[in-house]
Amino acid sequence: MSGSDSGVDTDAADTDAADTDAVSKPATDGGFGRDRPPRSDGRLDSERRQGTPYTESQVIMSTVKIVTPFAFTYGLFVTFHGGGSPGGGFQGGAIVAAVVFMIAFAFGIEATRQWLANTVVVALAVGGALVFAGIGLVPVALGGAFLQYELLPIPDPVKYGMEGVEILGIGTIVAGVLMGLFFVLAKGFSDAGGFADADAFDDEVGDGTDGDGEPTDAESLDGESNPGGPAAADGGEP
Amino acid sequence: MTGALASAGPLGAPVVAQVTAIEASLFVFVVLTALFTALARDVLAAVIIFGAYSLGMAALYTFYRAPDVAMTEAAISAGVTTVLLLLTLAKTTRLDHEAAFESVNLPAAGAAGLLFAGLMLTMGDIPAVGSADAPIWSNPDVTQWYIAETYAETHVENTVMAVLAAFRGFDTFGEAVVVFAAGIAALIVLHREVFA
Repeated sequence: MSGSDSGVDTDAADTDAADTDAVSKPATDGGFGRDRPPRSDGRLDSERRQGTPYTESQVIMSTVKIVTPFAFTYGLFVTFHGGGSPGGGFQGGAIVAAVVFMIAFAFGIEATRQWLANTVVVALAVGGALVFAGIGLVPVALGGAFLQYELLPIPDPVKYGMEGVEILGIGTIVAGVLMGLFFVLAKGFSDAGGFADADAFDDEVGDGTDGDGEPTDAESLDGESNPGGPAAADGGEP
Repeated sequence: MTGALASAGPLGAPVVAQVTAIEASLFVFVVLTALFTALARDVLAAVIIFGAYSLGMAALYTFYRAPDVAMTEAAISAGVTTVLLLLTLAKTTRLDHEAAFESVNLPAAGAAGLLFAGLMLTMGDIPAVGSADAPIWSNPDVTQWYIAETYAETHVENTVMAVLAAFRGFDTFGEAVVVFAAGIAALIVLHREVFA
């Protein structure tokens, strides 16, 4: 991410000279570009609507393309070899989720979100919980205690019962929930649930004078925004 | 701190060892990154330095032969937590700072110093690293029993996993449900019905 700093800053200074009066130091806003003023050309405005800034970088994309297969394989290795080497479902699931984070940082969170459907994330998390509970309940149905692996009707039941819990239970829960936390945190508040959506929420917090936080109130905020302050980035739309 | 670092000698008796160069540099790295995390004025810088701190801790855990903990520290603390904090920061407005470091809050620094001194007073009673006589290692009913009986009872070599998934399996089920509930809680808090 640090490799993209200079590219973002020069881009901001070049294409947005008209808006530089809105913020005091546009060149110091770092790789996030969060406090750049919203653009009227709609391109970055649509990025703002995504709620996550994204910088396309050949260096990051190429690196992630090379690293991803190895990291994903290592995550699966750690998950599947938890019985014979360090690690297990928790660590392996976290590594697999981190691979998805890497892909999202290289190719954009929205693109990754569309590529990795909600069904996959939910199936991983819910399926893991159901498998863990199921493996635990099978011995109960056979007259034993919860998670009494000896009663599972499989060869070497203790070893493969544990492996099933680690791989199909813990690993999938951790991978699914971490991916889900990542995506839902990137998306922010829902506008359907009584909160304003992310943009209007930013305006409301930054300006402090707007009560209802409707996105269409952006025009009315023009005269009230405070130039030079942090609110200017969000409220100073021309 | 040097006196507390020791390793088991060839006869199993704890001897105070020389602190190796790797160990010393890792300690310095971890302490420095912790200080910079606390003192950095810019939150983005603090988050990135905090990720470096977690990576240093992961290396330290590996050095002390706790690879399971090291893997968790590297994946969760250095990786996932840093990414989630960065995502949260990306949703906030970033302020410009003139100074690179926060001014030190003297009462807070004094409280932290007192806590540090109190903890250091207990160091004399903590067994040396790698000591064969340390209660956590030498007691026959827990640690030694697991090490002796794990393979016979569960047919897996990794005692940590056997304890987590078999001997303490019900606890682990509770923890897995907590992780699942964390995902549901995030959906509820953010008023969403789908993750992606």
